[in-house]
Amino acid sequence: MSVSYRPVGWTRSKIVYDAVLIAGIGLYLAAFMRSAPRGRPAGTLLDDQSLAIKAYGSCAFLLLTLVLMIGPLARLDARFLPLLYNRRHFGVITCTVAAAHAMAVFDWYFAYSPLSPWVALFATDTTWGDLRGFPFIPFGLAAFLILLVLAATSHDFWLNFLTPPVWKSLHMSVYAAYGLAVLHVAFGAFQDARNAGLPVLVFGGSTVLVTLHLAAAWREHRLDRRGPVDATGWIAAGRIGDVPAGRGLVVPLADGSSVAIFREGDALSAISNLCAHQNGPLGEGRLRDGCVICPWHGYEYRLRDGCAPAPFTERVATYKLKLEADMILLDPKPNPLGTTVEPIAIGERGR
Amino acid sequence: MAAPAIIVALGQAWLLAGLAAGVAFLLFGLDRRDAAARGAYGFRPLLLPGLVLLWPLVLWRWLEPPSPSRQPSLRRSHKRAHALLWLGLACILPAILATALALRRHDIPVPASVRIDTGPSERDE
Ligand code: HEM
Ligand code: FES
Repeated sequence: MSVSYRPVGWTRSKIVYDAVLIAGIGLYLAAFMRSAPRGRPAGTLLDDQSLAIKAYGSCAFLLLTLVLMIGPLARLDARFLPLLYNRRHFGVITCTVAAAHAMAVFDWYFAYSPLSPWVALFATDTTWGDLRGFPFIPFGLAAFLILLVLAATSHDFWLNFLTPPVWKSLHMSVYAAYGLAVLHVAFGAFQDARNAGLPVLVFGGSTVLVTLHLAAAWREHRLDRRGPVDATGWIAAGRIGDVPAGRGLVVPLADGSSVAIFREGDALSAISNLCAHQNGPLGEGRLRDGCVICPWHGYEYRLRDGCAPAPFTERVATYKLKLEADMILLDPKPNPLGTTVEPIAIGERGR
Repeated sequence: MAAPAIIVALGQAWLLAGLAAGVAFLLFGLDRRDAAARGAYGFRPLLLPGLVLLWPLVLWRWLEPPSPSRQPSLRRSHKRAHALLWLGLACILPAILATALALRRHDIPVPASVRIDTGPSERDE
């Protein structure tokens, strides 16, 4: 490791991101509190506590839906990538809103019970045998516990400590949290047929989510099947004109890895697209002095050998390239770490 | 003891064990385990909730001999798992929602509003 931990690695863009998000949440809650009472039939006015429970609950559900949209959106269109880089703050904020919902529930439903609120939480709502009136609170609690574990393990330390595969598996449980939240709402608030906005939020949200995730998976599946151009195993990575200025051309390979091809001046080089730190997308990084700067935490790698400049020690694999007219051919076998590959000159072809 | 009380007692025991393990790890384990933590103190309180919740995992990683430095990974893992998972969710979510809608009750009695406060209220006007 080459950087020491900080509580939060604040950058300007993260501050803006969080500010926009929190302002949006504030607007949503204020709008909900003002307009929801008006939409209800006469004689069914809600007390402020119930209103707060509904405002926080629906806000948490909306945020969970939105945060799960970021991944596939970024895979489908690179313009959404900036949303991805700060997704962890989004997750922690979602968990906080869910906690506000849960606390409002405790204060209203369980605070006046002679039992401790926690015992009361498990003691009510036990008609497990009947789908009608099926207990929905345990689903909400389980969803919240998952969000809590994910928020609590969102710091970089956890990724290193648990190792990336374990951390990723753990954080995949956010999908279980979403499923549980859907169950919580479906068997809870949904059962009251007077509630019209919520079905729209849940139906609409889940349809969009499923569509986006399947579309992103389908697109990657198609890209992954790009085969070699000839028997020697080189694959067609794209044309010289496809390499964006100042960024990398990301080439997904059949084995699930991906390579970033960069053009600096008149020369092309290729390195692994995954940062050695936390698999950040190097292909999205900026170039400076022959190095690519990882967009996530700023680690740098020299394009010619994939090594971080001294005193740092991180390395990523380099790949071999060659040109055929203006077509870039890529050898999909990674070089051993630290192998220097001279950038190939474009010459007249790139003009 | 009744089931709800047992669940709550188990939860409390879990958190207490987690607190002990978590504090011990912050004091004695962290610096040895992770070089980037040496000399960095501000972030430690942030770790405690996770240490408390996941203490068995923490003990497991703490006691395991440190692995030699890892090779950087070349592929994004879990891609296949993702695709399969969302195919599954594409079937399960509509099923849940359709069931819930079918069970929806239109006959919930609407209780008449009763004013319980004595002060002026703007909402009931
Ligand atoms: C400890 C955790 C939780 C508890 C005890 C809990 C409890 C409740 C209760 C009692 C209601 C019914 C409120 C009413 O009808 O007035 C409710 C509604 C709701 N909850 Fe939760 N919940 C929890 C977690 C969550 C989470 C994690 C989410 C979403 C991410 C969520 C989303 C909702 C939504 C959307 C509603 C419906 C609000 C409405 O009527 O418009 N809840 N919850
Ligand atoms: S992922 Fe952290 S610097 Fe690249």
